[in-house]
Amino acid sequence: MAWKGYASKGLLFTPGASVMHRANPLTALIVTLWAISLAAILPATGSALLTLAIVAFAYACGVGPTTLKRLAITIVPFGIALFLVHGVLVHAPDSVRVGPIALSASGFAYAATLFFRLAAMLAASLLFVTTTHPSDMLKSLDARGVSPVVSYLIASPLLLLEPLSLRAQGIRDAQRARGMDLTGSWRARITALPALLIPLTALALSDLDHRVLILTGRAFRAHKRRTVLGAPADDPAQRWFRRVLAVVAVLQLGVPLVWH
Amino acid sequence: MVLETRTLVLISAAVVINIVAGQVVRMLNIPLYLDSVGTVLVAVLAGPLAGGLTGLMTNLIWGLILTPVAAAFAPVAIVTGLCAGWLARAGWFKTWWQSVISGVLIAIPSTLVAIPIITFMFGGVTGGGPDYAVAYFAAVGSSIIKSVAFSNLGVNTFDKALTALVAFVVISRLPIRLTTSYGFFAHSRA
Repeated sequence: MAWKGYASKGLLFTPGASVMHRANPLTALIVTLWAISLAAILPATGSALLTLAIVAFAYACGVGPTTLKRLAITIVPFGIALFLVHGVLVHAPDSVRVGPIALSASGFAYAATLFFRLAAMLAASLLFVTTTHPSDMLKSLDARGVSPVVSYLIASPLLLLEPLSLRAQGIRDAQRARGMDLTGSWRARITALPALLIPLTALALSDLDHRVLILTGRAFRAHKRRTVLGAPADDPAQRWFRRVLAVVAVLQLGVPLVWH
Repeated sequence: MVLETRTLVLISAAVVINIVAGQVVRMLNIPLYLDSVGTVLVAVLAGPLAGGLTGLMTNLIWGLILTPVAAAFAPVAIVTGLCAGWLARAGWFKTWWQSVISGVLIAIPSTLVAIPIITFMFGGVTGGGPDYAVAYFAAVGSSIIKSVAFSNLGVNTFDKALTALVAFVVISRLPIRLTTSYGFFAHSRA
């Protein structure tokens, strides 16, 4: 498999052999977009059930812990802010004073709708990124005839990300060893920023010429399409499934809009 | 638009700079973003379209591998790159103080694009540092859209000014051989 050995590269992708792992990445992407469009039209209860269903499916695919952890990290601070702002701080006609604060039932309902809608959308996206390796996605795009320029713009940053993250850690450790305060006051941390960012950026740009020479030498833009070795499996059934699901995703979003 | 290979390589490095710089800022627990240093850098060296493309690719890739929420803010990143490129073309990245002013100017359209995304898609909050300011403005009686506008304009102004300054410092330290190979940079040469 193309992604073997990539699991440690700071990606959310988790290797496995589930139905989502085996599906063509474009099929997985369309399923994700369908779930996102469904979450956009469902009420709070429906979105909550959809989130639960996606998380349960993620566990069935062997990516449950990663999905749930990342979902919690992203959605919990968002939810706290959402319920606080809409349920407590924003004054609504139905606000009821409880001691020093005013609570709004409609505000909490709005916050719940947004919270579960975003939770479902985020869970769907996480299911996709935890089961689909970016390199497989790229191969699928290449197999569909996407330009080498687009492929390069997606693939190259993914390959550069880990080395530069390691360099960032190295710069941080070196600056701390020289006495820079990275955990102190707000002002100390702001002052530390240029000392971390400027060498990091300069390092990332240091070998630009070298990489231009390599690419030019390989004549990577000689043909409009690249030949793909080991493209993810695809079949007529998946292609039809994608077409139908894409139409359903558009219709379920568009019909309620037209209806109202 | 036909991108030179040199510009493609620059964009790919800038996307990584954006993502790693964003992670460094989060590690320091500072209520800023600083995830557009690479975007501004590309815009100054290679022009507005390359800058806008860098912004788009950054948020799409960030969304694809780490935080799907980032993809929703791709329009903000595109506007940041386009505006930085237009300001560079007008000669507003020749000195450090011009770069700071450019950063402040970039903050205005990028905030205007961010407001509807934050307000209508995320209910006015993003789970980050600016939420404290949104909560404060909401508590003193501002509407959600005004609270988002005030808080984000404040944070964005400081963030983009610092971003433009860091990009200027980095560019001024790059080898002349490298910067002269980007024809668009002639607009920003002092």
